[in-house]
Amino acid sequence: MAVATLQTGGAPDSVSSRESSRRRGIKLFKIALLSPLVVLIFCILTPVLLLQLYFSFHQWTVYLGSWWDADFVGLDLFRSVLTDPRFGWAVVRSLAFATGSTIGCFIFGFLLAYLMYKPFRGQSFYYIIFILPMLTVPVVVAYTAEMMLYRDGPVNHIISFLIGHDFRVSWLTNPHMALTTAALLEVWNWTPFSFIIMLAGLAAIPKEPIEAAEILGASKWRIFWEIQVPLLRPVILLALVLRFLEAMAEFPKTWALFQGGPGTATETLPVYIFMTTWQYFQISKGAAMSYIVLMLMVGIVLFAIYLLRREKHVLDAMYEWRETEMEA
Amino acid sequence: MSKLKISRRTFVEGGLGLTVANFLPGTTPFAFGATMEEQTIAAAKTVGPAKVNGMIWSPYFVPMQPVIAEFTKATGIGTGGIQDISIFDAPQRAMAEALSHSPSFDFIHIDSNMIPSLASAGYLEPLDAYIEKAGFHLDVVAGYGNFMKYNGHMYGIPTDGNVHIQYTRKDLLDNPDNKKRFADKFGTELKVPETWEENLRLQEFLMDPKKDLYGSGSLRNRANGVTWWYMIFYSAGGFPFDEDMKPTINTPAGQYAVDIYLQDKKVNHPEAANWGTPQMIPRIAQGHVVSCQYWDGTCKTIKNPKQSKTVGDWYYSVVPGSKFSGKMIHRSISSPLAALLINKYSPHKAQAAYLALWLGSGKNSIPIVSDPKNAFNDAWATEHFAAPAVINAYTQAGINAIKKNFQVVCPPIYLTGFLEFQDALGKNLSEAYVGQLPAKDVLKNTEDEWNKIIRRIGRSKLKKDLASYKAAMPKRDVPA
Repeated sequence: MAVATLQTGGAPDSVSSRESSRRRGIKLFKIALLSPLVVLIFCILTPVLLLQLYFSFHQWTVYLGSWWDADFVGLDLFRSVLTDPRFGWAVVRSLAFATGSTIGCFIFGFLLAYLMYKPFRGQSFYYIIFILPMLTVPVVVAYTAEMMLYRDGPVNHIISFLIGHDFRVSWLTNPHMALTTAALLEVWNWTPFSFIIMLAGLAAIPKEPIEAAEILGASKWRIFWEIQVPLLRPVILLALVLRFLEAMAEFPKTWALFQGGPGTATETLPVYIFMTTWQYFQISKGAAMSYIVLMLMVGIVLFAIYLLRREKHVLDAMYEWRETEMEA
Repeated sequence: MSKLKISRRTFVEGGLGLTVANFLPGTTPFAFGATMEEQTIAAAKTVGPAKVNGMIWSPYFVPMQPVIAEFTKATGIGTGGIQDISIFDAPQRAMAEALSHSPSFDFIHIDSNMIPSLASAGYLEPLDAYIEKAGFHLDVVAGYGNFMKYNGHMYGIPTDGNVHIQYTRKDLLDNPDNKKRFADKFGTELKVPETWEENLRLQEFLMDPKKDLYGSGSLRNRANGVTWWYMIFYSAGGFPFDEDMKPTINTPAGQYAVDIYLQDKKVNHPEAANWGTPQMIPRIAQGHVVSCQYWDGTCKTIKNPKQSKTVGDWYYSVVPGSKFSGKMIHRSISSPLAALLINKYSPHKAQAAYLALWLGSGKNSIPIVSDPKNAFNDAWATEHFAAPAVINAYTQAGINAIKKNFQVVCPPIYLTGFLEFQDALGKNLSEAYVGQLPAKDVLKNTEDEWNKIIRRIGRSKLKKDLASYKAAMPKRDVPA
């Protein structure tokens, strides 16, 4: 009895001390996880961003003295970038490239994921095959594609054979085709990324609503559109956003294949920023361009986060409603 | 003022003393009769051994290695860390080094047209003092040595001539049927073209796309095509800037060059707009081209039966010229002209400089430029043109053409900001070639862009640069 009393009396203290120790442990764990990132941000990223900010407000001509002597020009460089038609076209090309390739990656990635999400014999083999393009170095993709995409190259020959008449598209030299070619290569290279995300999303869908729909006699088409797609919306959005951001920054394939040409057909944002900074050595203008692109990307990310949150709320509401229905 | 008296005994003793001194270690540069190479070794020994680091593309570096090994044996100076960077990517990398005042590379191997930009960024070590100490001289045709000079200083040592020569298919020209048809059609003999117009007419006449034979094998991609425009423009009597650094390309000579440049579309392969050397050299060597102006190293490729189906099937000559200015002018070009430049911030700059001088001797560079496998370094020194190994690599006809083209060779825009000036022109020409820009706007747009570059870099600075650019232009209109 005395022991029981003691135990009863001592328990809250012991629990609270264990709890606070556990909380301290979690806090330390979080700090340990985050500290390398914080160090990275403050020691590397922040100085670089600050230096870039300095350059974008100072006109430094590399041939005319040191960067710390550069003239302060206020917003002139930003104005010059925003009124530069070449920059405007580069934005348009990048947006077109990113939109087209993201949609392509998503469609093929989703299709492959849908074929693969139910277990079957040899699934792992196909899984490896499907993710191989993502593991290929982009520059290698570009040079291999170059050999295959000549007008008299194997791709046109295969298409000619399949369609039964001469097919001779100039994938690499027609200015109306070049950006599409780059986008198709991006789709080939990065479809596995969308595939992996969509496969994970499909595997995580609860089985009960699908089984219920099947019992009620719903067709596969209807189950897909009315159950799977709505439940996958946040995952779809995530796959689209991540891929779009990556595609906006695509440089190695476009540069290795085209260097901005033919004409200016493939002069996307990364290509134009690279040329401005490292071919024309206009470090200040390049810095201002990078900041404008950074703002554009931050805007896109914030919009994406807003959409993702909205999707999460919709999904949470749907699950709450389902639980309430089941309890009732 | 006292009168200097030298007795016969003093004279004999002095002569004896100098003779003995000639054989003492370390005194070779001061002794009479030493060769340039011996003087370079002696001068290099005075700065001590070192392993020098460099940035150089392997196709250029591989044939240099045996020559470097000899220098290492004699002086203890050799190569250490070498970064294999393509000559097309080297300017970006070199400028990054310049901006950070980095001592990582002791030497860089790069297009010499970057000299004004890199020297202005403070990265380059002038070589004049080393040249003087080593008794070095560049033994080159005409004013080719001026390609290495900027603002009165020598900054580079060439390793690669890279001059353009004219290639015309001998088998097609000597074909009796072709000769007759041509004479019937044009009332003139079918022969190696001397003007751009003749070249175009020949290409149109002999091309047969059904047999995969196209008239032209010249480059028209964005990165390289501009090189051909310069040749046409210079041969029409044009020069890109006036004395006040105002652009002067939007002129009749400039428009003539644009017209000739764009007419190539009629006779070149449909994919030429994005083709560079990796695509075009095999087509030339495999016999899919009637004529072209191309880098001289292609002679070596054509001569190699393992790489060519047209061995002995080419005429080599001076690139076409033009009478547009009222007199006949031929202008060839050397770009990129690979040269060794020395980093001012390097702790081993003296060692690197002497190594560059060693590699830049006409005699030492014979095995480098005659290497049949690694054919990137092309003949440039006067000594090369008489060396059996070099003649064997290029053929006598090839060497004769190279020598002649050197007499009228020009640089591209040899100014600070070279890449920027060049890309503005290259971009507009490329846009016009693929139909994105009307031909009449090419030069106007380019001049607008050039004016912005001039304002940014500074007109007065560029006006000073003009002297070096003009000094590099040839004095002859037609090769002797």
